[in-house]
Amino acid sequence: MTNTLRVSLLAAMAAALTTSAFAQEPAVKHAAPQPEVGADWPFYGGDENATRYSPLSQITPENVGKLERAFVLHTGDMPSPNARYSPETTPLKVGRSLIMCSAKNVLISADATNGKENWRYDPGVPDAAIPHAAACRGVATYTAPELAEDAACKTRVIEATLDARLIAVDLKTGQPCQDFGTVGQVDLWNGIGKRVPGWYAVTAPPTVVRGVVVTGAQVKDGQDEDAPSGVMRGFNAVTGELAWAWDMGNPANKHGPAEGETYTRGTPNNWAAGVADEKLGLVYIPTGNSSIDYYGSNRKDYEAKYSTSLVALDAATGDVAWHFQTIRHDVWDYDLGSQGTLIDFPGPDGKPVPAIVLPTKQGDIYILDRATGKPLHGIGEAKGHKKGSVEPDFIADTQPTSLWHTLRKEPLEESDMWGFTPIDQMMCRIQFRSANYEGYLTPPSADKPWIQYPGYNGGSDWGSVAIDPVNGILIANYNDIPNLNQLIERPVAEKMGVRPIYAPKTDAAPKSTGGEGGASVYPQINAPYAIKVNSGWRNWGTGVPCSAPPYGGIRAVDMKTGKTLWDEPLGTARRNGPFGIPSYLPFTIGLPNNGGSVVTAGGLIFIGAATDNLFRAINIKTGEVLWQDVLPNGGQANPITYEVDGQQYVLMAASGHAFMETGRGDELVAYRLPK
Amino acid sequence: MTLTRNAAFADGPAAARRGGGWRLAAILLSIVLALFGIVLFGGGIWLIALGGSWYYGLAGAGLLATAYLVLRQRMAALQLYLVVWVLTVVWAFWEVGLNFWAQVPRLVAPTVVLVLILAILPALRPRRT
Repeated sequence: MTNTLRVSLLAAMAAALTTSAFAQEPAVKHAAPQPEVGADWPFYGGDENATRYSPLSQITPENVGKLERAFVLHTGDMPSPNARYSPETTPLKVGRSLIMCSAKNVLISADATNGKENWRYDPGVPDAAIPHAAACRGVATYTAPELAEDAACKTRVIEATLDARLIAVDLKTGQPCQDFGTVGQVDLWNGIGKRVPGWYAVTAPPTVVRGVVVTGAQVKDGQDEDAPSGVMRGFNAVTGELAWAWDMGNPANKHGPAEGETYTRGTPNNWAAGVADEKLGLVYIPTGNSSIDYYGSNRKDYEAKYSTSLVALDAATGDVAWHFQTIRHDVWDYDLGSQGTLIDFPGPDGKPVPAIVLPTKQGDIYILDRATGKPLHGIGEAKGHKKGSVEPDFIADTQPTSLWHTLRKEPLEESDMWGFTPIDQMMCRIQFRSANYEGYLTPPSADKPWIQYPGYNGGSDWGSVAIDPVNGILIANYNDIPNLNQLIERPVAEKMGVRPIYAPKTDAAPKSTGGEGGASVYPQINAPYAIKVNSGWRNWGTGVPCSAPPYGGIRAVDMKTGKTLWDEPLGTARRNGPFGIPSYLPFTIGLPNNGGSVVTAGGLIFIGAATDNLFRAINIKTGEVLWQDVLPNGGQANPITYEVDGQQYVLMAASGHAFMETGRGDELVAYRLPK
Repeated sequence: MTLTRNAAFADGPAAARRGGGWRLAAILLSIVLALFGIVLFGGGIWLIALGGSWYYGLAGAGLLATAYLVLRQRMAALQLYLVVWVLTVVWAFWEVGLNFWAQVPRLVAPTVVLVLILAILPALRPRRT
């Protein structure tokens, strides 16, 4: 398997190079050679396959204990007092520079050896545009073959912003690309409808495939059935012209809606990072749910068809090549948050075929044939429970599961309830016994709360997985946390004063209101119910989770067999305690985590992610933590590794995360071995 | 402390155990135990009614009885609570075994209570005199 993987990777690369060598036509039509990971970190996911694997091997399990800080870089983008920030920054490294976007989309180029700024471009995103929190997970670059070597914007940095603009600047200078859109910008609100800041915001890096920049957008959850469209759009990476639009509700909108019309509203959106398949000319888009999440009887057929699916779109036309649905009639907000990873995997006849690894929030990890979308392993079936449901006819009878691997654990029992004392534990047991719970896939209910496990934070969320293709090991960090949710009858929601995002700002009533134990209420206008979500099922008063640790872990999976090689809790108890008081306990507990890992040829995994604000190096063979450092704030981002002047660096954003409650900052910390 | 010393001067060491500061400590501990006991007992009954574990209701009753005996400064408080504590340990290991974090809510607070009762041991007397 190891050798097969290696050989087929080489074959794929050779094929890609051959194709491009003979291709003299514009890049929009043919595969182009892609920059390689190693000294550089040229893609959000490391290499073009988004494996998050680096061939660098200077830092090893033997010397990692000597790592020291090389520099701390400040983006300078600090939140104003009432702004929620979750920067989630993962830079690229190109040449001698780091390229990144800050929480509010300030593009920054900095020296990769000392963090000194080369240039910055501030698109001036207003606070009003911040959705749940300000985030910009990454940027993309594109080198235009048709431009002269010394032309401005020969290589450009492309980002999509919270206020829904696509922006291109010159990699060398940070100057807006004059050839792109209007003075370097394209307005993504075109065709979406009324501008409501914060409702339609891009947080993922755009995906460039065959000269087309592809982007979707985050649509803020739970507001209204009549929400911004989930349309996917491809733009010419040089001119910024709309190449195509995939509007699942109206194919006639392929080149934009007619004057005064919009793309089909309320359709499933894409907020997660896509991945490009330059060779097949496809882009793999993980979709979310249609607006709104927790009620579905009124959804259209095309919404039911494409929600919570991996959709392969043709880069040239935007047409659907295939799609694979991970949840039928999703009423749990199990939208796909992870970026897919491209690998070669044995097909039905045992010979390797181009495949994509798709992690999900439900925990199931699927491996699909990239040409057809067909799973390359067995698909199981989970029973869809209907007891307690407000729409039993809508709830699917069964749901698919992956027989290759799942991160999902056994259903909760009363004895899994937790607290710091018998009293809070008892309170949780009372809530457990008072809730609807049939195990995995318990449907939404209004008569009493229901337990959703795994919760909407995963399984695997936007941190995605890392794969060492040489040794055939998949590394997945994951959450293991239930949510306690309840549908709220419309009149009750009215009385609670829950208002959608577009309600007049002057209104004293909160936009979405807090509830007991840290619950949030979303209005779900035009559905019969609002929704109360207690994410992480935090207890009344104390805020302590009702389920016992671990809340998150990290696992190594053998690519050959799908079997677990090791599985360890991720994170220590140092920052956690009742009423939010840090306990400073150094014991491993296993914490909620967001953000992913990097694996290296040196035999190490680097990961922050957990809410203990530690950045750590783990032995990929054993799962043992070999080194760690306390970050200034939470490391809820994907780290990167790169090399300059023969020196390997590892870099981790440490700017905290509003939802994960890990502080507010603007730091990125770089490490290297002593010279 | 001052109270203790004054009491010791007035009535000698034996009487000092039951009076003054020790008496105050017993009253305070009794109140704390009674508050926890009432919550556990009430919530425990609710949990039993919901079809859940009987432990909390029973432990709450044990804690309330212990609180009463502490208030009366009876050595039986320690004896009773030792039974509650041992049964708690047995139950905890039966329910979750050696899972360290799962034992935190089950064993830490009950053990703290045991330590507190041991700490006021001088305030307790074997039987009515």
